[in-house]
Amino acid sequence: MELQSQIPILRPSIHARRANIVVKFQDLYGFTVEGNVDDVNVLNEVREKVRNQGRVWWALEASKGANWYLQPEILLIGDGIALKTSLKLSTLTNAITLKRLIRKGIPPVLRPKVWFSLSGAAKKKSTVPESYYSDLTKAVEGMVTPATRQIDHDLPRTFPRHPWLDTPEGHAALRRVLVGYSFRDSDVGYCQGLNYVAALLLLVMKTEEDAFWMLAVLLENVLVRDCYTTNLSGCHVEQRVFKDLLAQKCSRIATHLEDMGFDVSLVATEWFLCLFSKSLPSETTLRVWDVLFYEGAKVLFHAALAIFKMKENELLMTHQVGDVINILQKTSHQLFDPDELLTVAFEKIGSMTTNTISKQRKKQEPAVMAELDQRLRRLNSLKESGKST
Amino acid sequence: MASSGNKNINAKLVLLGDVGAGKSSLVLRFVKDQFVEFQESTIGAAFFSQTLAVNDATVKFEIWDTAGQERYHSLAPMYYRGAAAAIIVFDITNQASFERAKKWVQELQAQGNPNMVMALAGNKADLLDARKVSAEEAEIYAQENSLFFMETSAKTATNVKDIFYEIAKRLPRVQPAENPTGMVLPNGPGATAVSSSCCA
Repeated sequence: MELQSQIPILRPSIHARRANIVVKFQDLYGFTVEGNVDDVNVLNEVREKVRNQGRVWWALEASKGANWYLQPEILLIGDGIALKTSLKLSTLTNAITLKRLIRKGIPPVLRPKVWFSLSGAAKKKSTVPESYYSDLTKAVEGMVTPATRQIDHDLPRTFPRHPWLDTPEGHAALRRVLVGYSFRDSDVGYCQGLNYVAALLLLVMKTEEDAFWMLAVLLENVLVRDCYTTNLSGCHVEQRVFKDLLAQKCSRIATHLEDMGFDVSLVATEWFLCLFSKSLPSETTLRVWDVLFYEGAKVLFHAALAIFKMKENELLMTHQVGDVINILQKTSHQLFDPDELLTVAFEKIGSMTTNTISKQRKKQEPAVMAELDQRLRRLNSLKESGKST
Repeated sequence: MASSGNKNINAKLVLLGDVGAGKSSLVLRFVKDQFVEFQESTIGAAFFSQTLAVNDATVKFEIWDTAGQERYHSLAPMYYRGAAAAIIVFDITNQASFERAKKWVQELQAQGNPNMVMALAGNKADLLDARKVSAEEAEIYAQENSLFFMETSAKTATNVKDIFYEIAKRLPRVQPAENPTGMVLPNGPGATAVSSSCCA
């Protein structure tokens, strides 16, 4: 999976140096993206920023000691979990430094190590025998279930044309991770959308087993429950919370869209289910994930609200559903500079605590359950009447 | 809901059907006149727009192409709410997908807009050797349920434009404006597909 070596340094050719010429180029993680020369330049600046950010991390490591960010006490603070035990001042300072540092980005070379530890994946893995993943993949080899059939159907449809993912080797690795997980949690099994998430995890983590544990910790600890199970009830809850937050944080946009009869879930559902991997450029997606693994699922709301906020004026001018979607999709696809998004997400949106969001989720749950239940009953009664005629 | 003004009609259209029936491929063929063997799997739904001129009007379709996996069906009401038309897609080489299509028809009849124009598309008509659902069976079902039926092939483009054209012709021409604040703007030049970039 040696992507780095395959990526050509981007120097827009003289012929492409005109603003509106669309060029295709490979980004940091090997995805082919289309953009104009400005976008190429932005992406080159991002590469430079990533290198600088790497230097910051090395310097801190030199002054604070190797792996200073992996101390267990620091990890708990990220979640906003207040510790009852008294903390050393140095631990608290380190936690604050780390939070700021992560919002500015984890260098791609450090991502596997930092994610694995900060997310809780390392801890999860440590509770089972060393051979868990290899035993699991061996045990389920050759088994056919509705989940495996769907996974097989989706393998060639997951980031097609990516130089590693869309190869027999890439398909096989993605298959083992997804099939393995479908047996680990039969309530989730396999849900479309997870293919994109697992594929990006593979690209970042480099090893299949670590990608598997990242997927596990994501679904079992980081995200809200039942986002991917039957009925996607968790996803429905998140969408309702998102609508409330939009009304609070971007009230003019929310009112305008509501008057148009535009339901923001029409676009936001995919963002939440794929964790932006299908909408944002790869490095921007991973920057959102950097924060997601340290601060929790509320980060998805920050990012989603920011996409709306960034285009407030344009959105307020729209009169048609198609125009709203055009603006949001174009904006998200072209967010090559992660800082552009994250600055708005954390500085302009304002703070939201995991605690208040949990309360909002609790508030929405009964309504979602009632709605899903009602739909199911209606459909069942249709079946009954169909049989009797 | 279809809304008209100076014979420009805006119509929300939703595609529903089993996973792998070819919903996204039909849309891609209609909107961009392209076909790719492996289409990215759709999550939630993808939006496209395309304008068609019929005899007496210009119809701008706002197309919602929905995800096919069973658990995504709980999201479907959001996409078919207020739709003026629906295409229910099945794969003629897959009997289960036809059964699934019937369930969609039932759900739309019970929940959707009563004036909704519904089309049944038997897709992958190029794969005649693998056929499992006969054209007669589908035609009879369609007549009984007042839908119109066409066999399509996104791969060869057979009947793809035709099914959208037929829907455009059948849309009610006069509709009270559903949304008083909305304006009907002149259509942009041709189609504007806003899916993720496709670099085939």
